[in-house]
Amino acid sequence: MKLRAIKGIIIKDLKELRREKMALFWIFIFPLMWITLFGTMWGGHNPPISLDVGVVYTYTNESSAFTAYDVLRIMENVTLEGVHVFKIREFSKEESGINALKHGKIDSLIVFPSGFGRNVSTGRQAKIYIYFDRSDPQQYQIVRGTVMGFFSEMEKKMREKRIEIQLKYMEAYIPKEDNISPETIKEYLIASAEPLEVEEKEVSGKSPTPIQFYITSFIGIQFLFATMLTIGTGTLEEIEKGTLRRIAASPATAWDFLTGKMLSTFLIIMVSIFVGLGYAKLVFGETIVPSPLGWLIIFIASIFSMSLGLTIAMATRSIKSTTAVVNFVSMPLLFLAGIVIPESIVPSWARPIANYFALGRALKEFRLLEIYHRPVSEIMPGLVLISIETAVVFLTAIALYKWAIKRLEA
Amino acid sequence: MEHCPIYYGETMEAIEIKGLKKSYGKFLALKGINLEIYEREIFALLGPNGAGKTTLIRILAEGLGYDAGEIKVFGRRLSKETARFIGYVPQESISYDLLTVEENLKFYADLYDAPKKKIYELIDRFALPKKKKAKELSGGFKRRLNLAISLLYDPKILILDEPSIGLDVPSRRELWELIQEFKKEGKTILLATHYMEEAEALADRIAIMNEGKIIALGTAEELKALIGEESIIMVEGFLRGLKRLKSEFRLVEKEGSVRIHVKNPKESLPKIVETLVKSGSEIKTIKIEEPTLEDVFLKLTGRRLE
Repeated sequence: MKLRAIKGIIIKDLKELRREKMALFWIFIFPLMWITLFGTMWGGHNPPISLDVGVVYTYTNESSAFTAYDVLRIMENVTLEGVHVFKIREFSKEESGINALKHGKIDSLIVFPSGFGRNVSTGRQAKIYIYFDRSDPQQYQIVRGTVMGFFSEMEKKMREKRIEIQLKYMEAYIPKEDNISPETIKEYLIASAEPLEVEEKEVSGKSPTPIQFYITSFIGIQFLFATMLTIGTGTLEEIEKGTLRRIAASPATAWDFLTGKMLSTFLIIMVSIFVGLGYAKLVFGETIVPSPLGWLIIFIASIFSMSLGLTIAMATRSIKSTTAVVNFVSMPLLFLAGIVIPESIVPSWARPIANYFALGRALKEFRLLEIYHRPVSEIMPGLVLISIETAVVFLTAIALYKWAIKRLEA
Repeated sequence: MEHCPIYYGETMEAIEIKGLKKSYGKFLALKGINLEIYEREIFALLGPNGAGKTTLIRILAEGLGYDAGEIKVFGRRLSKETARFIGYVPQESISYDLLTVEENLKFYADLYDAPKKKIYELIDRFALPKKKKAKELSGGFKRRLNLAISLLYDPKILILDEPSIGLDVPSRRELWELIQEFKKEGKTILLATHYMEEAEALADRIAIMNEGKIIALGTAEELKALIGEESIIMVEGFLRGLKRLKSEFRLVEKEGSVRIHVKNPKESLPKIVETLVKSGSEIKTIKIEEPTLEDVFLKLTGRRLE
């Protein structure tokens, strides 16, 4: 190996890249645009949800202790991080409320039928009708979850209140000698109403932020586009221009050229990743500082990406075709391999791509390690799989490159 | 131009080629080339496009594989090591457009492990604008940069493939002077060209190639002698009646002129003029010329050198 020649090739490539505006755009600007776009849209802190809720109730006829009006006042006072969760809009008729819901003017309609207050106040079951618009499934889930959550919580409070009232009546009839305390009876009554007491717990650990996810997406984009195109088109340019023939005829060999080319590409991608990480910190105040194992995953993924780019270039033997094939392959993989969207929303038929395509898997393992802080033992099987795939694609690329060199010498 | 005398017996062979064959699939590009190029001579390979000149040069300079034969450089088999004796200036530019002249030379110096001071020597020698990007250079300067690159490691043999193609007349003259200088410095020059004037002006010896073979070899004078006793009558103008002349003489037609090969010009000239005038030709110029290398090529192959 001629180290001076390899150094020369790296320096030459870096200087050429510095002056090639289009390459600079695709390697540095385009991925940063992704971070900016996704980070601005979904990466920041989401404000608490606020819903427009329509209500229909009969107020004037009720003279009970607790009425629909009281429910509405409670709803109006529900806040999350200082934001009122429900904005109440009253409708005189059910039809006009439904109409407003259909036209998207409100998110939900609550109808308190006549007798609601009387039933609640007298300890009977009171009916409520709640309308939702299901045309947007995601919005429906959010609105339904929020409204039903409110009524579930309210129901719980009402149940406790009613048990307390019932106990006051019952205390006078409890025989003293039976050793049954009012607390014990209360416990039984609550358990009758709620046989299960479910308490929500959160696992400790640093919770990921959306921007961290999009930083990893940016690294994936670098591998899917910039890395593959830089090495693929770079090598083809040298073949088409005749300079590779010239290099092969010099004391340096075609293998020195490939080593130099791969090192320069790796260096360029590393610099672009550093720029991306720094940019995220600067603009969004957050970034990822990969651990040594994280860097190892990046290193293996970049070898895979370079090998795949070289394989495509040597197989197509044309810069235009290489660019077309890389774009054709990479564009759907951005989504299907879970590069720019979480694997959880990748369609089930595409999940194997995210799991078995080395770049998708590498990014998945990287996220598990760096964002979700999973133990190394969980990462290892994925790392082995990525390494095997990388070795296979690397050997294929080398074989095709060797074939291309033979054609040059034939 | 003045040619140095050649002493074949006393000079070592810089390149020796025996029975060289090369094919591309079924197409035979070289059909058994035998050639000796002596140290410190300018040797021209003259032939039309497709004659096999570039293939021969690429075998010598770029390590292109061949099917049969033997090549020796200064008595040693052609290899990656002996290829270091050879500097190659290809037809196309080998510089990188986005790099400056200096950066291009630095890159190739790294490839060839050449000393860095050589870069600046060559920049000065060829008056190259070192800070200018290669894409901003004129055709003449690009050719000079190609030359400078090939001289970085001070090769003893310099191979130039169609060096003056695409150059204007002053740049071509400058290049020819440079080639003469290289010879004076002791370099052996192998020149592939399809310009007969270039071969005639520069080369000590010329090999005429056609269809993968060397069909004649010698000095320009030796080659012209192959024509024999023939002279050329060159006629320019609006010419008619050439068909009638063809039955008697060998003609080579060019745009607005015709070269007529004759044995005895004094006898043939009146006959030719009479035939042309009677046929309605308007003759502008008529003169008797010495045969050129193109006439030699025509005689040997039956077709023009293009």
